[in-house]
Amino acid sequence: MSDEPGSGFTRRDLVRGSLVGAIAASVGAKAEGVKTATIGPGAAPLELTINGAVHRLSVEPRVTLVDALRERIGLTGTKAVCGRGACGACTVLLDGESVCSCLTLAHEAAGKSITTIEGLAEDGRLTPLQEAFIAADALQCGFCTPGMILSCKLLLDRDPKPSRQAIREAVSGNLCRCGAYNHVFDAVERAAGTRKAEGPASTELFTSRPAPQASRLDDDPRVAQAIRDALEQEG
Amino acid sequence: MTDKIRVGFEGDFQVKEIAVAPGDPAPWDPSKKFSIVGTRVPRLDGKPKTTGEAKYSIDVRLPGMLYGRILRCPMAAATVTSVDLSAARKMPGVRAALVLAEPGERVRFAGQEIAAVAAATPEQADDALAAIRVAYEPRPFVVGLEAARKPGAPLVFDGKAETKTSAGDVESAGKGLARNGNVLGPRSTVKGNVEEGFRKADAVVEATYVTQVQTHTALETHGLVARWDGDELTVWASTQGLFGVRDELAETLRIPVSKIRVITEYMGGGFGAKFGARIEGLTAARLAKEAGAPVKLFLDRKEEQLATGNRPSSVQTVKAGATKDGKLTALQLTVYGDGGTNGGTGTSGPIKNIYACDNLKVDEFDVFTNAGPSTAMRAPGHPQGAFALEATMDELAKKLGMDPLEFRMKNDPSAVRREEFRIGAEKIGWKTRDDRRQTQDPWIRRGVGVGAAVWYNTGDTGPRATVTIHRDGSAEVEHGVQDLGTGSRTMVAIVAAEELGLPLEKVSVSIGDTRLPYGPESGGSTTTPSSAPTIRRAAFQAKKQLAAAVAREWKVPAESVTVSDDVVSAPGDPKYSLPWAEACKLLPGQGVSATADRADNHDDAWQRFTTGAQFAEVEVDTATGRVRVERVVAVHDCGVVLNALATESQIQGGVIQGVSYALFEDRVLDRRTGRMVNPNVEEYKIAGSLDVPEIDVIMVSVWDGVNNTNSVGIGEPATVPTAAAIANAVSHAVGARIRRLPITPEVVLAAVAEAEEARAKGGPA
Amino acid sequence: MKPFALVRPRSLSEAARATVSPDAALKAGGVDLLDRMKEGIDSPKTVVSILEIPGHDRIEAGPPAKIGALATLARIAGDPGLQKTYPALAAAAGGAATPQIRNMATLGGNLCQRPRCWYYRLEEFDCRKKGGSECFARDGENRFHAIFDTDLLCCCVHPSATGTALLAYGAKLEVLSPKARRSLPIDRFFSRPTDDATRENTLNPGEIVESVWIPALPAGSRSIYRKLKEKESFDWPLVEVCVSLAISGGAVRGARVVFGSVAPTPYRSKAAEAALEGGRPSDELARRAAEAAVRDAKPLAQNGYKVLLARVELERALRQVFG
Repeated sequence: MSDEPGSGFTRRDLVRGSLVGAIAASVGAKAEGVKTATIGPGAAPLELTINGAVHRLSVEPRVTLVDALRERIGLTGTKAVCGRGACGACTVLLDGESVCSCLTLAHEAAGKSITTIEGLAEDGRLTPLQEAFIAADALQCGFCTPGMILSCKLLLDRDPKPSRQAIREAVSGNLCRCGAYNHVFDAVERAAGTRKAEGPASTELFTSRPAPQASRLDDDPRVAQAIRDALEQEG
Repeated sequence: MTDKIRVGFEGDFQVKEIAVAPGDPAPWDPSKKFSIVGTRVPRLDGKPKTTGEAKYSIDVRLPGMLYGRILRCPMAAATVTSVDLSAARKMPGVRAALVLAEPGERVRFAGQEIAAVAAATPEQADDALAAIRVAYEPRPFVVGLEAARKPGAPLVFDGKAETKTSAGDVESAGKGLARNGNVLGPRSTVKGNVEEGFRKADAVVEATYVTQVQTHTALETHGLVARWDGDELTVWASTQGLFGVRDELAETLRIPVSKIRVITEYMGGGFGAKFGARIEGLTAARLAKEAGAPVKLFLDRKEEQLATGNRPSSVQTVKAGATKDGKLTALQLTVYGDGGTNGGTGTSGPIKNIYACDNLKVDEFDVFTNAGPSTAMRAPGHPQGAFALEATMDELAKKLGMDPLEFRMKNDPSAVRREEFRIGAEKIGWKTRDDRRQTQDPWIRRGVGVGAAVWYNTGDTGPRATVTIHRDGSAEVEHGVQDLGTGSRTMVAIVAAEELGLPLEKVSVSIGDTRLPYGPESGGSTTTPSSAPTIRRAAFQAKKQLAAAVAREWKVPAESVTVSDDVVSAPGDPKYSLPWAEACKLLPGQGVSATADRADNHDDAWQRFTTGAQFAEVEVDTATGRVRVERVVAVHDCGVVLNALATESQIQGGVIQGVSYALFEDRVLDRRTGRMVNPNVEEYKIAGSLDVPEIDVIMVSVWDGVNNTNSVGIGEPATVPTAAAIANAVSHAVGARIRRLPITPEVVLAAVAEAEEARAKGGPA
Repeated sequence: MKPFALVRPRSLSEAARATVSPDAALKAGGVDLLDRMKEGIDSPKTVVSILEIPGHDRIEAGPPAKIGALATLARIAGDPGLQKTYPALAAAAGGAATPQIRNMATLGGNLCQRPRCWYYRLEEFDCRKKGGSECFARDGENRFHAIFDTDLLCCCVHPSATGTALLAYGAKLEVLSPKARRSLPIDRFFSRPTDDATRENTLNPGEIVESVWIPALPAGSRSIYRKLKEKESFDWPLVEVCVSLAISGGAVRGARVVFGSVAPTPYRSKAAEAALEGGRPSDELARRAAEAAVRDAKPLAQNGYKVLLARVELERALRQVFG
């Protein structure tokens, strides 16, 4: 166990590259007179680079990124649902990684590249993923959709032919209350070109079949009686 | 005017003579070749919803807009003794403050509204809220159904029960029902004589089933933006009923209906909880008035989970008897439901309306507790009722030694549902379900279960729509319905395009505004069967206007001109025939326009219930009690499907909410303080992407002739039988009866232990 | 959230100095801190953000491994070296929370996060963890609470999945303070409610976890992390278990068995370890060790089922690790 640390970093750390600078900065910060930056508590100016455009605003440090986007800048495509990182509705990409913008301080997003749902389509042209969401009806109320799409975009960027299980995992931090999940899986498969059948094999519109053995529709006197009873009770 | 129409399903049709209202087309015939109806139409607002452009009410931002917030009581029961807003009013950015519960008022649940503020930023509103000083006199409280039923339990209501209700509530307190302590009722239904029925039975089962409180948890919270322009009020609401919001605001604020405009362009889900202006709406309007500036007041997640309604709990005792040959002889249900400070907790829909039985007795009791009020939630009473009823059917079948599906078929009076049972059974592989129970892993068992659904063909009169045909051949529909995410915007376009014979892209739709012709409230699966026939009627009449206008140009009698598909012609003379677009050029500048009210239902057509059957296949880890729903086959009577894609989405959504209800969701109240301990979406557990089954959707088309489109709503029936099917599947898998929701590992392990104990004692498993 | 000043030091030493004050809170990913601040259960006047301080997010898989405290859970979960050598840690990190949260949450934050007890997490309850005089869970709604060490003033369960794995691996934490660095064995990092119910670890004011060091494991070592949740999607575990052991000469050596989500600290089961030591790997040994592990469980009124789950999960973990 020769590498067991006694105090601080090991010798091996020091001879490797990237940490050296950090440690030097760490140890020497005060000596070099580098000042700790303090923002707030009042409003302070910042610049956010959102979908390639720079937005200047002034907010208190306590303002989260989602509130800055929605209530200050007016980019309301990003939704706030739980406010606590549990639902993924506020998902944005920060330097290419998906994060919950409800638990990100606006000031800490300054200087990073922020991608929101508004940044996907170019000149009104939808991405294949957005088109697939529409074609597969991967949304109902649509409130989870912006976050859902960004999670799926990140997946496809990294894994262009994901398995259905990989899709399930990729959106496992995006809560949908309407229950559009299965269509989301279908949409990603469609966008990835891995969907086997066009149109869902799982759905049948059951309209024409030979007549069943069933009795005539209201031959059964119980039907009429049950309906009369129900109407009486409901009315 | 009478007409002969064909009603029925899949080859089993019969002819009925019905009265058709003047100006209303007869219901579509089963032979009708549709061009758009029944196809898979992507929703028209897909683009704004996938690009973030869609403006939900919560997204509305107005110049000078303030942010409203509501302060809530942290105690389950108290009397307000003072509310001091003076410090809050002095806080930075504060422009208005209101007392919502005056001194002396009783607070009956933790989360009830006390006061409100409006400030320039959300943060300032939060800070101001913290500066409000409230004093309470605590009062004794009671939470939990059993505790509230005990003699001497603290009373939620001393005198008359003043339950707050919304337009979506099933039924509330009062109505001459007996009250005993916190218990209201029973609401009783008696048919035949159950005692006699049980005497005739060869087998009788009786058990008690327990379900939890479920919260709606729509992603967009309750709330709205209110703006006054002089004495006119405009609100952007997140609502299931635009006109209900308008009317409640008018009544409460004492201003004319004509001075209020309600807009809901996009809406982030409701599930039954978003009717009326509610206290949020009235508060926003009052704050905006006081501040002289628009106010946005949307609840945060915690408030949403605490105070905006829920599906009540139930404790249902079901007794059922049947003869050896499998005929039900008696059904009895006694149910107590905890609706917090509200009533309407009954669960009897399924037991009254699914199986035929000559002897039925139902007693339903509401139990008041110091908890957030229940309200309508997707198929009120039905998922609970179906869970208890369908477990009972399985138990009784077992006692009779019959296949549970065969037993159901013997007692199901609905030919449609019997067919649904057959279709679903084939799809899920019902016959081999016993063979699939064992898996290669000794701990893992598979199970298959079934559940039946009933709902009601609920469309009704009231809605109005205007259809305009323009000179360029395009058309426009105006209809004040709201789209909760169900696809009603697209449905409106489909019906108009079909009736006018136009491609969808030639039809534009305006919805979501009370300035438009009256639209239905979206509750009870009424939207489609209320709106669709209205749209069709207006389009039908607009076509007549087109024909009349063309006839004038052609100088032929109006009634000799017909509009069919894309051709306008006067039969008998080929020179009087023009393609649609050419014919429209003959119109005056304003085009032609027809406004129609929805016609009455054809009660003389084939009346019926909306039926469904779902089958679930589950995998249960018998050592840990963990349940995975692998697959659900959902077979539903969908009337005439207007949009197969949206209908499929709705059914999948109903199933998924049912899975979530069956396995995870549970509002937990702290017994010692009465507070909800999981007012979030983390400990209040909702199914995520890794928890949902693969779902087979089978839509059975049924032509009932009740309205001119034969359309029904599918939102509710799709969630009625899911929990029942899952519970039966789990019971099948583990060989022990599940009598409680949600089916957590703890519940499964307890059921398994109980069954093992029974087996050890030599009793029935 | 109440107003606060956001302090962004250039170095961890600066950060350490800035967090000595009781009014200051250290923020890395901020997932847990902002959650608490939004609920109003923490209202620091100063938030000291170390998120952007470079150089502390490095992962060296070793063995021995050294992981900077600012490495995210996503990177730990995805690191091929850790997956191979310390699979229980990679699995624990990869199964936590959601993809978005794993992109934000850091190892240091995961170790230092506060419990998820619903009484603690609601501002309305002045519980012992907030300096109050009562544990509301003891006689309240405790279905998800502790089954071990339930007599220690507070019945919460420790929420750190990585802590469970690191305890099984015998990791050490490098802790930086304004004046010095020290190496802190992880079993001395977690503290019990009886020490101070308002805290879960022994860090002094101004101390910051800088990195985590995991020793090389002996030849023949195997390890595993398992957990059981109600939901497969984002959910806090009912039970977690982590086992690290070596099989040498056909016998189990040096087994470390740690449960998560069952006690106010990651819970090391000495009883299970004793039952395993020197035993021949077999299903029977797994069963005996698992039974031994839960023998001294003291469940609360509503969570007896978790005892069974802990036993089953450990038995399965052992059978898996025995191969």
